[in-house]
Amino acid sequence: MSWSDPARRFEPAEDVELRAELRELLGLGAVPQRVVAPVTEELASLADDLRKEAQRRRRTERRRPSWGLMAAAALPLLAALAGLGTWGVQQKQRADGLAAHAQRQEAELDRIAAANAAELARERKAKEEAQQQLQLVARALPKKSLPYLVIPVDKPLRMQGEDYQRVKEKPGQ
Amino acid sequence: MEDRQLETPFGDLDAFHGAFAELYPRLVSYARRYGATFAEDIAQEAFVILMQREERVEHPTAFLYGTVRTLSLTERRPMKNQNLSLEAVTEPGLAGGADDQVLNQEVRERMRMLSPTFREALWLFVVEGLSIREIADILGIPEATVKTRIHRAKAQLKDQLNPSGGVHVLV
Repeated sequence: MSWSDPARRFEPAEDVELRAELRELLGLGAVPQRVVAPVTEELASLADDLRKEAQRRRRTERRRPSWGLMAAAALPLLAALAGLGTWGVQQKQRADGLAAHAQRQEAELDRIAAANAAELARERKAKEEAQQQLQLVARALPKKSLPYLVIPVDKPLRMQGEDYQRVKEKPGQ
Repeated sequence: MEDRQLETPFGDLDAFHGAFAELYPRLVSYARRYGATFAEDIAQEAFVILMQREERVEHPTAFLYGTVRTLSLTERRPMKNQNLSLEAVTEPGLAGGADDQVLNQEVRERMRMLSPTFREALWLFVVEGLSIREIADILGIPEATVKTRIHRAKAQLKDQLNPSGGVHVLV
């Protein structure tokens, strides 16, 4: 019939004394001796009913999901996340590769453009030099030459009969 | 056939019956003090919750009182006043219904003069006979706070008894 609560069994003497003092102050008198409550048939039956109800609830209550179950439930999600992560990493690597390739191409184009520009400058310089040489040569040539082209023609030895008319005589001839 | 060696928070089945017989009326009274309408139901529910737990409860008495307190306050949550009532109080744990078991008007008045916070701790300590540790579990506060409240309640009681301002120490 005995039941005990460890917190009650080992109560310090100081607390017991304080309780007695407070009872005195309240006018309650000394601490009464604990009367062991009689266990009636009705109370015992009620206690058993409550105990059975607790057992029933314990059997039927929804169990909290264990760690294993939660891990199993989270597995598809984790797999999806891992797949997504792998795909993402792959895409990133691919993008990095493409970016590096584009950068290389751009550098190559820059190099070709620079080479072309240098070639163009060189040609332009050569042209200018050639023009300068031509001008120098032109200055060095004699200036007697006619400014127009003269084609020498042999004069006819005799008149070709009377089959022509002098249309007009130039003054001074 | 009932298994007498069945393990309960209070020991075997007989010990459980003994604990139930002693604690149930006290818990019903405690629930009523908080204004619970269905005090018996609350006390029974507290026992079911205690028995339902799979983990071992270190202080079953404190657990029961704490559960009854929570359920009682939850039941009357819409009401503003959630303080321990002193109306129709009888000292629990005493069998029978003799007049001398009813706390007299003077005691009630003395307790009513205390602040509700101190009154609750004092009630559990003095009238319910619970230990400091149990009260700390019930109220969900540190043991040191319980001790402080009880000592302050004691100081207030001394002030009531000596209104002219006699000198006394706090503790």
